[in-house]
Amino acid sequence: MTVTAPALNREVIVRSVVIVAVLALALFVPPATLGGDWITTLTSVAIYSVVAGGLVVLYGKVGMISLGQIGLLAIGTWTATRLHYLLDLPYPLLMLATGAITCVVGVLIGLPALRLSGLYLALITLMGAGAIDVVLHTLDFPNGGGGFSGHQGIIDPSSLQTVQRPSWGTGDTAFYRYVVVICALLFLLALVHFVSKPGRAWAAIRESEPAALAAGVNITLYKMWAFALASFMTGVAGCLLASHFGNPTVGSFPREQSLTLIATALIGGIFTLWGAVIAGVFMMLVPFILQTQWNVDSNWLLIIFGAGLLQVLLTAPGGVAQQLPKDLANLGRLIARPFRRKPNAPEGSA
Amino acid sequence: MHNVIAFTVFGVDWEFFKPYIVLGLALGGAYALSGVGIVVLYQATGVLNLAFGAVGAAGALICYWVLNHTSWPGAIAYGACIAFGAACTFLYGVLFGPAFARRDPLVKMMGTLALALILLGFMAWRAPAGGAFNRVLTLPSSKHRFELYGAVVNWTQVLTLIFAIVLTFGTALFLRHTKLGTAYRAIATDREITATLGVPVRRVEASAWLGSGIVCGTAGLLLADLFTTLDYAALTFLVISSLAAALIGRLRSLTATLLGGLTVGVVQAVLTPYESLTQYRTAAPFVLSIIALLWMGRHREVVFSKTAR
Repeated sequence: MTVTAPALNREVIVRSVVIVAVLALALFVPPATLGGDWITTLTSVAIYSVVAGGLVVLYGKVGMISLGQIGLLAIGTWTATRLHYLLDLPYPLLMLATGAITCVVGVLIGLPALRLSGLYLALITLMGAGAIDVVLHTLDFPNGGGGFSGHQGIIDPSSLQTVQRPSWGTGDTAFYRYVVVICALLFLLALVHFVSKPGRAWAAIRESEPAALAAGVNITLYKMWAFALASFMTGVAGCLLASHFGNPTVGSFPREQSLTLIATALIGGIFTLWGAVIAGVFMMLVPFILQTQWNVDSNWLLIIFGAGLLQVLLTAPGGVAQQLPKDLANLGRLIARPFRRKPNAPEGSA
Repeated sequence: MHNVIAFTVFGVDWEFFKPYIVLGLALGGAYALSGVGIVVLYQATGVLNLAFGAVGAAGALICYWVLNHTSWPGAIAYGACIAFGAACTFLYGVLFGPAFARRDPLVKMMGTLALALILLGFMAWRAPAGGAFNRVLTLPSSKHRFELYGAVVNWTQVLTLIFAIVLTFGTALFLRHTKLGTAYRAIATDREITATLGVPVRRVEASAWLGSGIVCGTAGLLLADLFTTLDYAALTFLVISSLAAALIGRLRSLTATLLGGLTVGVVQAVLTPYESLTQYRTAAPFVLSIIALLWMGRHREVVFSKTAR
C-alpha cells in the first residue's frame, strides 16, 4: 500500500506566510523605527504573550481554567534568579532548567484538576496563587544571599548583580530579538501539540470528558501533559522576565495582574495563539501607549478591560482574534456593496 | 516568642493562646461575614460574586469622601456606603444576571470579575492609594475598647462578629420559613422548573442581588474600619481570603461557612507567636480552602449530564 503525503491546502500556506511575515516584521521593524522605551515594552509584550499562550493551552484547548498563571510566572522568575546566583549556567540551559522546575511545580498545582473542574478548579488555582503570593512576599526574590531563599536583607544597591542575559543578547534590542525568537519557538511547540495526538486528545476532553474516556483517551496523562506544557512555557517566560527586569522584586507581580491576565486573554481570544499575542499587546503595550504617549491615566484601562470582558463573555466568546476577521469581512462587504454590479433584472419582470 | 518545642497536643497552654483566639475570632468574623454574603447569593443565583470586596471598598471610599469633604452627618455617610453596595450589586444583577442565567457557574463568576475590574479601575483613578493618600475610616464603635483575656478588642470587631452570626442564622430562618426564602431554595435546585411553577424568577433573583448588596455595603463599611488604612486593593482581594470560609461551607451550608470563617481567623491568629510560621500566617485561608476543595473533590464521578456535576 502506498501512502501519499497530503497536499498542503491553501489555508495552511496562507497562514504560514502570514506568520513568517508577522515574525519578520516583529524582528526587524521596531528596532529600526522605535526608541528604547518601545523596545523594552515590546519585550514585555512578547513575554506576556507566552504566559497568555499557557492559558490558551489550558482553557482554550483542554477547558481547564487556571487563575494562578501569574503566580506560576513569579515562580519561574524566582527560580531563574535563584539558579543564576547559584550556578553559572549558559543561558539556554538556565531557561530549560527554569522551564523544567516550573513544569514540575505546575503539574503539582494541576494535580487537583484530575478531581475538580470548572468553577472549583478556577478557585483552587486562585487560592494556590494567593498562597504563592504570601510565600514570595516572605521569601522575597534572591539577591545574592545564602540559603534556600538566596535573599539578604540589607544590601548595597550598587553591588547588586543583575540576572544574566544571553551572550548575544545583552543589549536591549538584541535581547528583544532573542525574546521574540524564543517566544516564537514556544508558540511553535504549542502548535505542534495542537495538530498532533495530544491536541486531538485535548479536544476530546474539552468536548466531553466521559466520551473521551469511553474512546480510550488517557485523561490523567493528557490533563497533566497540558499543565506541564503550559507551566514549561510560563517558566521559560519567567526566566526571560528575570533577565528583562535584571533585579526582579515581589512588586513586579502585583495581585491584580492575575485578573488582568485572564481578562486580556479572554478579550484577545482564548482559543487561538493569535489571541495570546493580542492579550500581550493589551496587557503591556496599550497601557504604555496610553500613559507615556497620550498621557491618559492607565487605570482607565482596567475599566475598559472589565467592560471588554463582559462583552466577550456575553456576545463574542472567541475574543478579538476570532471577532476581528469577521467584523473586517463584514465591513469589506459593506464598503464593496455600492460598487458591486447589480444583477440584471430578469426579462419581462418590469 | 513562645517556645514551640514546649507545645504538645495534650499540654496546650490555653492561657497563652487566649488573646490570640479572641483576636482570631474578631478576624474570623470578617471572613465569615463576607463568606456568608457570598454563599447566600451563590445559593439563590448560582453566581460566585468575586466583586463582593470591590463593591464594599467602593462604598467605603464614598463614605470616607462624605465624612471628610462634606458637613453631612455620619449616618448619611454610612448609609451612602450601604446604599452604594445595594445599588451597584442590584444593578449588576438586574442588567447582567438574566444574560448569564443559563451559563456555566465559571462564566457567571468571570462576569463578576469584570465588575471587580471596572470598580478597581474607577477607584484607582479617582482615589489613588499609597504615599500621601493613606485614608483611615474609623467608625464610632471603634473608639470604645475593652480587654478580653489579655487582648484589646473594639466594638467594631464585636459588631462584625455579631452581624456575621445574626446574618447566618437570620438567613437560615428566612430561607426556611418565608415564601421568598422557599423561592430562593427552589431556584437553587432548578431555575427552569421553578419558573414553570409560576415563581417570578427574575424578581426573586433581583431581590437576592439587592439583599447581597446590602450585606456587601455593610461588610465594606465594617471591614474598611478593621483594616488600619482604607486600602481598596486589600479590601477587593479580601474576598479571595473570605472564599475560604465559603468553600469550607461547600458553598452550601451557612452555618459551616460561619464556622469556617471563624476557624480560618483563629488558625491565622494562633500562628502569630510561632517565629517560623508567623510570616506565612496570611496563607492560612488559602491553604485551608485548598484542603476544603480537595476534600470536596475526593469522590468525583464522571457524569454525562452537565447539570449533575
